[in-house]
Amino acid sequence: MANVKLTNVKKIYSSNDGTHKKDYVVAVHDFNLDIKDKEFVVFVGPSGCGKSTTLRMIAGLEDISDGTVEIDGEVVNDLQPKDRNIAMVFQNYALYPHMTVYDNIAFSLRLQKMPEDEIYERVTNAAEILGITEYLMRKPRALSGGQRQRVAIGRAMVRDSKVFLMDEPLSNLDAKLRNQMRAEIILLRQKLNTTFVYVTHDQTEAMTLGDRIVIMKDGYIMQVGSPTEVFERPKNLFVAGFIGAPQMNFIECELTREGGEYFVKPFGVKFPVDGAKGQELKKANPSTGTIVLGVRPEHIVLTDAGQGGIPCTLEVNEMMGSEVHLHVYTEDGTRLVVRVPTMNLSQEQRDHLKQGNKVYLKFESKVMHFFNKETEQNLIYA
Amino acid sequence: MKRYSDLEFLRLSKWQKFLYRLASFFAGIPVAIKKFFVGIGRFFANIGTTIGSEFADLVTTFKNGDWKTRVSYLIMGFGSAARGQWLRGLLFFVFEAVFIIYMVVAGGYWLSMLPSLGKVGPGEVYNEVLDTYVYQYNDNSFKILLYGVLTIFFIIAFIYTWRQNIKQNKIAEGILASGKPLRSGKDDLKSMVDDQFHKTLLALPLTGILVFTVLPIVFMILVAFTNYDGTHDGYYSNLFTWVGLKNFNTMLSWSGGGNVYSATFGEILTWTLIWAFFATFTNYFLGVFVAMMINKKGIKLKKVWRTVLVMTIAIPQFISLLYVSKMFAKNGIVNGLLMNLGWIKQALPFWEDPTWARVTVILVNIWIGIPYLMLIATGILMNIPADLYESSRIDGANPWQQFTKITLPYMLFITGPYLLTSFTGNMNNFNVIYLLTGGAPTNAAASSAAGTAGYTNLLITWLFKITTGAEAQYYLASVVGIMVFVVVALISLVVYNVLPSIKNEEDFQ
Amino acid sequence: MSTNNSMKRSMGLKASARISNTIIYIVLIAMSFIWLIPFICIVLQSFRVESTWQVGYVIPQKWGLDNYVKLFHSDFTRWYLNTFIIAVVTALLQTVIVLCMSYTLSRFRFKMRKALMQFMLILGMFPGMLTMIILYRVLKDLGMTQANAVPGLILVYIASSGMGYYVSKGFFDTIPKSLDEAARVDGATRAQVLTKIILPLAKPIVIYTILTAFMAPWGDFVFARYISFGTSAGMNVAVGMYNWLNKDMINSWYTMFCAGGVIVAIPVTILFMCLQKYYVEGVTGGAVKG
Repeated sequence: MANVKLTNVKKIYSSNDGTHKKDYVVAVHDFNLDIKDKEFVVFVGPSGCGKSTTLRMIAGLEDISDGTVEIDGEVVNDLQPKDRNIAMVFQNYALYPHMTVYDNIAFSLRLQKMPEDEIYERVTNAAEILGITEYLMRKPRALSGGQRQRVAIGRAMVRDSKVFLMDEPLSNLDAKLRNQMRAEIILLRQKLNTTFVYVTHDQTEAMTLGDRIVIMKDGYIMQVGSPTEVFERPKNLFVAGFIGAPQMNFIECELTREGGEYFVKPFGVKFPVDGAKGQELKKANPSTGTIVLGVRPEHIVLTDAGQGGIPCTLEVNEMMGSEVHLHVYTEDGTRLVVRVPTMNLSQEQRDHLKQGNKVYLKFESKVMHFFNKETEQNLIYA
Repeated sequence: MKRYSDLEFLRLSKWQKFLYRLASFFAGIPVAIKKFFVGIGRFFANIGTTIGSEFADLVTTFKNGDWKTRVSYLIMGFGSAARGQWLRGLLFFVFEAVFIIYMVVAGGYWLSMLPSLGKVGPGEVYNEVLDTYVYQYNDNSFKILLYGVLTIFFIIAFIYTWRQNIKQNKIAEGILASGKPLRSGKDDLKSMVDDQFHKTLLALPLTGILVFTVLPIVFMILVAFTNYDGTHDGYYSNLFTWVGLKNFNTMLSWSGGGNVYSATFGEILTWTLIWAFFATFTNYFLGVFVAMMINKKGIKLKKVWRTVLVMTIAIPQFISLLYVSKMFAKNGIVNGLLMNLGWIKQALPFWEDPTWARVTVILVNIWIGIPYLMLIATGILMNIPADLYESSRIDGANPWQQFTKITLPYMLFITGPYLLTSFTGNMNNFNVIYLLTGGAPTNAAASSAAGTAGYTNLLITWLFKITTGAEAQYYLASVVGIMVFVVVALISLVVYNVLPSIKNEEDFQ
Repeated sequence: MSTNNSMKRSMGLKASARISNTIIYIVLIAMSFIWLIPFICIVLQSFRVESTWQVGYVIPQKWGLDNYVKLFHSDFTRWYLNTFIIAVVTALLQTVIVLCMSYTLSRFRFKMRKALMQFMLILGMFPGMLTMIILYRVLKDLGMTQANAVPGLILVYIASSGMGYYVSKGFFDTIPKSLDEAARVDGATRAQVLTKIILPLAKPIVIYTILTAFMAPWGDFVFARYISFGTSAGMNVAVGMYNWLNKDMINSWYTMFCAGGVIVAIPVTILFMCLQKYYVEGVTGGAVKG
């Protein structure tokens, strides 16, 4: 149980192997983050964004090129992983194939020279919690993917480690099992009550698990915030596009100001920016001109013809059950995605939503996002 | 040479494609060689800049360092010890002491003798006590060369250690300045099994390689520039001395008509390459073929066939090769049986006729090699994804097309590096040639050259012969050895740089 | 009509498969014969009593154990013991060295790693035979040649064995690195990672290394001959028995050579056949990895 503090942490890979001139690749740029005690922080981003590298630097599996990592107030840069008192769950589980489940879980405790009685106590206790008691004498290869995952978690949780690190622990599981394990991790977290750092590329996992989410791209932190924050107030285009599925629609359009009020004019249809959003925008006071307007698919409303909506042609209708995803294109060919709950659709409307038919879209200003076209920063929250 | 874009290449006819590939292969060779020399140049440039920056660092460390650091320039380990790192300091100091004592006691002498390789040879000296001339041994060229090289190694090691000693001071100063404690001797010992574990593990193997491979190779390369042989062994008979490039001249100059050495060398090199080519590829293709026969669906007793072949690997080669060699001898079983059957009247000259001998050697080598290749090929064949065959069958390929379009490319791709090592291995395949023929039959034209050369001699068996003959021309053996290295290195260099499959080998894995 | 046609075709397929299989069986039987015949001949001739020189027939006219009895009253027992000692010691030490080397090169990323591997690659291009001349003189100075060739040979075999790391490094490379990392996070030192995680998993390659290291000295000829030069007491079986086939000796020792060959081959072959599985694994892995 401890806080983790990263100050100006940098990771530089160099092909400095004694044969070639040195080539540098910076994998993580000045990473600053203060993870509080008992907090659940998720690093999320596309592959190659440096999230795993950062986690591995906390674990001590990668050298820290620059900056400091502190665990519980102590700088651990020069400590070996074994001396950092951390537990880690790996993506491919990394179970020792030649040991039984029991020995796997007991491995770290034996290295600490803990008495066997206590080891037994702890291992069986952990096995009970994870529901793997009956497999204790099996070898890892005789287990299913989900069971292996539990063993890996069990191995990490028997130790009283200060920090619990998880590197894409669910990505090798099938969709159904992944949902189940996600729920179990939430329960586990309540039981263990320790600091968690969790790495994933899946924004759903990030949103459901994290107290705070760190969104990364190309080695830079794009935004740090709670799930609500990153969803509702994305700082930039990348975060807005990364969080939420289907992805937010981005439309290049004019931002105009008439009589103190802001207006956007996507596809020639003028929408006022009013209400709270309008107030916020006025406060930020951006200059007018071409901007990128962001609208999430679920925030687009279908209207009838002649109601001032944007005319579009329906291309694909994906029936998801509780909702339909409509892929449409506007008159200038821009493609948009609209998400409509099936509950609100009349039979007549459903019949209408067929390929080639015209639909009309309306945007709500309170859920619009405005981004600078060049800097890609949010005009209000950046 | 004109380069085609991918799309242009696709429009070429089969024949044009082949020509284009061939042309780009040969066009690739000069590029590869250029790359090699550029690489070498860069290597030395790197060394230059490294040395420069090391010197600069030495100066700045001295300027900015405290007095403990400065004393360490003279007394190694002083700084470490003065800062409480007793173990390191002691080790540095002991190393320096050993080095100085060695240089004073022996190293200086060896080094001073190195340019001359000894001044006083063995000879008769008047002994007053016995009142007669006794034969006395004096300088030892062999030892001078050996210990001279060793002393140079030692000096390099000393400079490196001295540099480390100064680096340690700088690092320690930095750590102390940032307010952190230094590592204690106990920490150092602990790190030997942890973060510095690789140094512990490598210490023994690398020492072995250094002493038993690097040192002898350096020594033997130097021997090529001396006249070290049976009559100049450096101690008992005569001293040997530096002769410059004379030996290379003897071996390689084609100018002087009837230069027996260079002609012999050329002949043996040619046969070595022919042999390596056939030995490698006959084994390879036949091995794959046998593996495919055994693995064919519907063939029973797979294990039995495989075991029969594998068993022959277990039997030490000297037994099988020597025995087979005698089987094909003039009065051996093969000739005996054939004559008993009345198929031949005279014994077949398996080892007596040059062409017969060369063909027989290659055939026997097939007999030796197929089991290995069968094993390797079986392993790889089983790893070829079955869906490749399934999809090709759906695409309409017959078994022969499957073999040429899927099996063979896959095998060649995966075993590319193996083929290369196997080729160079065959060039140096001492056992097969020596135990089968010993190099015979004698090549009359070349036999006056060092150590009677024969028609089946490889460079490596010739080298052996040169060193064991009555004259034991070590300097020539050493020249041959260097030439073997040059040939092997050239082939490897070209193959590694030109063949794309080998370059991409790791991507494929 | 069409069913008839396809039936015909399928029967044609079956028949052609049968023909090709028959051809393959014939080839395989012929091959087995060719591969085994020398060994059958050796065994048969080792029991020949009526003459000791080479003859043009295979099956002895008079059978007996004379050759074997004579074998045990010759230097052969000495050579055999020498070879056995060399083989056992080399197998153990060489395995340790090869494992140290290959594990390090597979798992650690240190500054000079690539340069070291390239250096060893280049070093390997020099014919090893070249080093014999100097090693012989050095070992002679140390008193480890001729009659004392056994320790000398052991030293030569194991000293540079670190260069033969390719196959086992290839094997170590297939063990996921995350196992090392998990163990290190679990509190293991690098040394403990090796002993507790990697070595138990590397059993096949350890056995392969031991097996090949054990078998090599039985067949080594050139180094052994150089170092034991001219002294029977220091020879191994290969060098000793090679001399039996000299022009001068072959007529009285040929059948003894056969008997000796049988005695040498039997234990090595049995060991090899027992551990065949590991050998095959190593050889295939080595070829694929290059």
